[in-house]
Amino acid sequence: MTGEEPLLSVRGLKKHYPTGGGLLSRSSGAVRAVDGVSFDVGRGETLGLVGESGCGKSTAARSVVRLEEPTAGEVIFNGGGRAGASRNDDGTHPNDVTRFGRAELKAFRRDVQMVFQDPTSSFDPRMSVGASIAEPLSVHGLSDRGRRRAIAEDLLERVGLSPGDYGRYPHEFSGGQKQRLAIARALVLNPDLVIADEPVSALDVSVQADVLGLLEEIQSTFGLSVLFISHDLSVVREIADRVAVMYLGEIVEIGPTEAVLTAPEHPYTEALVSAIPTVGPGGKRQEIELTGTVPDPSNPPSGCRFHTRCHAVVQPEGIDLDQSAWRRVLDLRHRLEAGEVDLETVRESIRARTDATGDLDRSTLGTQLRAEFGLPETLSDPVAERELAGSIEALLGGDADAAAERLASTFRTPCEGTAPEFTGHGGGHRSACLRHAPDVPSEPE
Amino acid sequence: MPPERFDRIDWEEHAGSSGFSASINTVAFVLTALSVLALAGYDRLFAAERETVFGALARDVGVGPRFESLGIGADPGALEYLFVITLLLFVWYLLAPLYQNPRMTRYYWDRFTRNRPAVVSLGWLFVVFAGGLLGPLLLSAPQQDVLAGHQPPVYLSIDASNVARCLGETVGGRCHGTWRYPLGTTQAGEGVFRNVVYGMTISMQIAFITTTIVAAIGITFGTVSAYAGGWVDEALMRFVDIVLSFPTLLFFLLILYIYGAGLGMFILVFSLFAWGGTARYVRSKALSIAEEEYVDAARISGASTYRVVRRHVVPNTASSIITQLTLLVPGFLLAEAQLAFLGLGDSGINSWGQLISAGRSDLAFAPWIVLAPGIVLFLTILAFNFLGDALLDALNPKTEAERGR
Amino acid sequence: MTDEPLLRVEDLTTTFETDAGRLVAVDGIDFSVEAGETVCLVGESGSGKTVATESITRLIKEPPGHIEGTVRFEGRDLADCAEPELREIRGADVAHVFQNPQDALNHCYTVGWQIAEAIRIHEDVGRSEARARAIELLGRVGIATPGARIDDYPHQFSGGEKQRVMIAMALSTNPDLLVADEPTTALDVTVQAQILRLLDELKTEYGMGVLFITHDLGVVSEIADRIVVLYAGKVMERGSAADVFERPSHPYTRQLLGCLPGIGPPSAGGIPGTLPDPTDPPEGCRFAPRCEHAVEACFEGGQPEAVERSPGHRVSCIHYHDGYDESVLGEPPTRLGLADPKAEEDTRTGGDADDG
Repeated sequence: MTGEEPLLSVRGLKKHYPTGGGLLSRSSGAVRAVDGVSFDVGRGETLGLVGESGCGKSTAARSVVRLEEPTAGEVIFNGGGRAGASRNDDGTHPNDVTRFGRAELKAFRRDVQMVFQDPTSSFDPRMSVGASIAEPLSVHGLSDRGRRRAIAEDLLERVGLSPGDYGRYPHEFSGGQKQRLAIARALVLNPDLVIADEPVSALDVSVQADVLGLLEEIQSTFGLSVLFISHDLSVVREIADRVAVMYLGEIVEIGPTEAVLTAPEHPYTEALVSAIPTVGPGGKRQEIELTGTVPDPSNPPSGCRFHTRCHAVVQPEGIDLDQSAWRRVLDLRHRLEAGEVDLETVRESIRARTDATGDLDRSTLGTQLRAEFGLPETLSDPVAERELAGSIEALLGGDADAAAERLASTFRTPCEGTAPEFTGHGGGHRSACLRHAPDVPSEPE
Repeated sequence: MPPERFDRIDWEEHAGSSGFSASINTVAFVLTALSVLALAGYDRLFAAERETVFGALARDVGVGPRFESLGIGADPGALEYLFVITLLLFVWYLLAPLYQNPRMTRYYWDRFTRNRPAVVSLGWLFVVFAGGLLGPLLLSAPQQDVLAGHQPPVYLSIDASNVARCLGETVGGRCHGTWRYPLGTTQAGEGVFRNVVYGMTISMQIAFITTTIVAAIGITFGTVSAYAGGWVDEALMRFVDIVLSFPTLLFFLLILYIYGAGLGMFILVFSLFAWGGTARYVRSKALSIAEEEYVDAARISGASTYRVVRRHVVPNTASSIITQLTLLVPGFLLAEAQLAFLGLGDSGINSWGQLISAGRSDLAFAPWIVLAPGIVLFLTILAFNFLGDALLDALNPKTEAERGR
Repeated sequence: MTDEPLLRVEDLTTTFETDAGRLVAVDGIDFSVEAGETVCLVGESGSGKTVATESITRLIKEPPGHIEGTVRFEGRDLADCAEPELREIRGADVAHVFQNPQDALNHCYTVGWQIAEAIRIHEDVGRSEARARAIELLGRVGIATPGARIDDYPHQFSGGEKQRVMIAMALSTNPDLLVADEPTTALDVTVQAQILRLLDELKTEYGMGVLFITHDLGVVSEIADRIVVLYAGKVMERGSAADVFERPSHPYTRQLLGCLPGIGPPSAGGIPGTLPDPTDPPEGCRFAPRCEHAVEACFEGGQPEAVERSPGHRVSCIHYHDGYDESVLGEPPTRLGLADPKAEEDTRTGGDADDG
């Protein structure tokens, strides 16, 4: 994006939802659904925004168009005759959507439109689809009924339906056709930017390709910019010029699609890429399994938010373990800290396997515990082994807190201390991972 | 002229326009309702006490008794004017849209007609409606005629000793009915048939006016509550709680004993305390509709909250509260009949309840006085219930989705 | 009964009486599932795949539904079974996992209670033992700290976890056949991969047969041993996963494959046209109206006789019959680009080395 002004420029966008406040809630915190997201969408470009459900990608998109009021950040939109504006003296930007007043917002919404996910709910069941498509025209003051109809009929034809469908109702269309209609409605105001929020994820694969094809065709015909939101990298790959990968309210990697998908720099992107189903037997690639679940966004992990699930989490100096063993020790530590290690369950499973009764000795328990967490009998690094053994000893002795503390003192990854900065990989491909930071040693292979 | 295309609109041209354009239906409703109001105002200001409004109008305009020769001799009261306005609402906002969207109408009609009892019910309600509307224009009000009391309906007979004067043939000591009084007469000699027909008018007035009041207040409270949120929502909903727990019947009796109460007061009191459930229903429905993607789509097109509510939320709640309102009507009809039966009704009107009340002492030898209005009332209530059920099935989008699988 | 497969479905036809006439959802399909293998039924929505599986244990309401054909499960003909017997089979021997776990779990009870209840319905075990088994199952399907989560309510689980709970519940009675109806369609890609892996492991561990239903050939390629491609209630092609993916033969299969991202020319578009009206299916091959290779003969008679291309790989397309030239169908689509894990691995290590 050098030199040329991007169409949309999002800086430090945040959306927090206050939680609690009720009598019984422990604390009144906030769900940090979107927590400082920055990206640009160039003119005529498609940016894919990818992440698991709950990562905040839809909230980010809705905050950009102010369907949700953003908590903080700047959304600068330079479309619709707003190009070339420069900042005001007080540092605010005249094109900052978050500061738009009523009239400006209405004008802005002529230039940005959305396509939604669920074809069944995206049309008013009591309105003919033609009237739904033409509605934005009358909102913006085109009061000539005949013109509205002519425009809607022309659009119906453009998206591969017939003008005769004008008077039909949503229930008469299939899911794929409804998404075509949704695209027509998004086009009717001749916007500069279309935000497509998971537009094909509710459709059959065979229909997906169809709708994606239409979207691409429309985009190139009218020079639209598209912000395409999806959880499915394989779909994004079809349509996006650049991809931004979101995890827990933050962007972890952004860059040209091919670069991000063929050479992912962030471990989370690697995991996402590896989850794309590949077709053909024997085509099964080595998969990177993401352990655990997405953490609670009201209390995100410190440092790099992905470190609790990362398969490439960095080892501290002085520890040299097999990467998978290292990951598992960390898992054990997190679970201990969360008070989720239940010795009774461990005993149960031993009894279930061996029919042993009565008290179980500590070594059996220790071995089983390690087995449950996928840890080897002994760790390859003697220092690490001593600490782990000591911790397990403390746990079996009944002091789970001491066990957790002991693990925490030794097994502490740099990832949890420092929030990684973005590192460039050339060609606008950037990722936020500590492994790429210049002063941190890259992980041992 | 180039073909109309979405990318060839000069928005500057439309920049000043608010995009507000009243629909044909609204214009038509406002015009017709205004003329009714004007007539009502004229009635109040210029027509003499004992003069009919049309009579006064004819005199002032100087057309002589032409209106009366057309059969428009009625002298409407406040209730009648209100009734006409609710009918106009019904015509312009329910029937006209059905006519304007034949495709949707046919779709709903097809779904509706799957339910045979409901179609029969609709037919019956149409008869009651037409009778209520046209009856008073075609038939004069039932007249007392003490000598013609207790005449039996046609094809039936009664022991001649129970009748003062038999109008039909008396065969073997039994008095037979005549076509003059097809359903017989009351003790006072009023024709039961005419009474039943005039009762239809009362019932339709109750049905239309109460539902209009309930719908207007309920939809307003519900949507405002849903869309305002926060303390407004809280306050409105607590108020609804109060309304719902209010002892309407006792309140009505109180008014009755202090001021006396006519049909108008009955309708007012009962409908003013009956909208609580509707408001709650509309609120929850509006909240769920606000989550729908088409509402987001409208918002992102720049539509104001008012427009979203007016164009999307209300129409989508309305179709489901029509069902609820339909099921509310039987309650009002029954309440009126019960009050009348207990002698607490408006004795100046020819409602079915009044007729039943009048006939209860003669039940032993002249059962038709109670049975005729009783059966009509029963069938009407049954028809409303059937209709409500069928509308629920026909208008519920859920069943659409299930069928689509 | 040594040669008898776990499940054998022959000439299964399921019809529904509707206002619009008789709707043929499934029209004379055959397939079988062996113990320890995964068979995928693939097709677009409306192809009849769900109805086909629901017909096996007669989950279809009759009327308006009507099921014909033989369904032999563990040597028993299910058509002869009375309702109580069927109910027993449904619960204990054939387990179902559905697309939307939130609809299938009861929100008023803890998941532990629901799993334990499923166990206790089919087995005479005590409350505490059922609970212990439930904990074990939750652990087995990959719920961390099952002991702590067992008393949680469904809403406390994420979508993927709910699907795991559903699988645990399905496994609770040690079923011989697991019917999974689009179990991953509502899930994220990452979670989908986890669930598929889990099903694959469980299949081996429990020696179950798995009947997996999906519209997504990408998912199929992950887990299928054998594939049955359905279109408008008819089988178009069947064979081992290797056969179907490496030598897709039916034009429909090929087009379906072409729709997958990363296969075929970019933005090839979907399959033009829509599924035929099930109340009035076309003459001849069901796919003919949408097939670019259709010839006149395709619109006559019934669905073409299936031709065996290699053992077990059967295709119902007239172009493979004697007297026709299969070369008109052209070359099957091939895999392209991204999907090559090797290339991906190389670039990544390369990138890391640079940074180090």
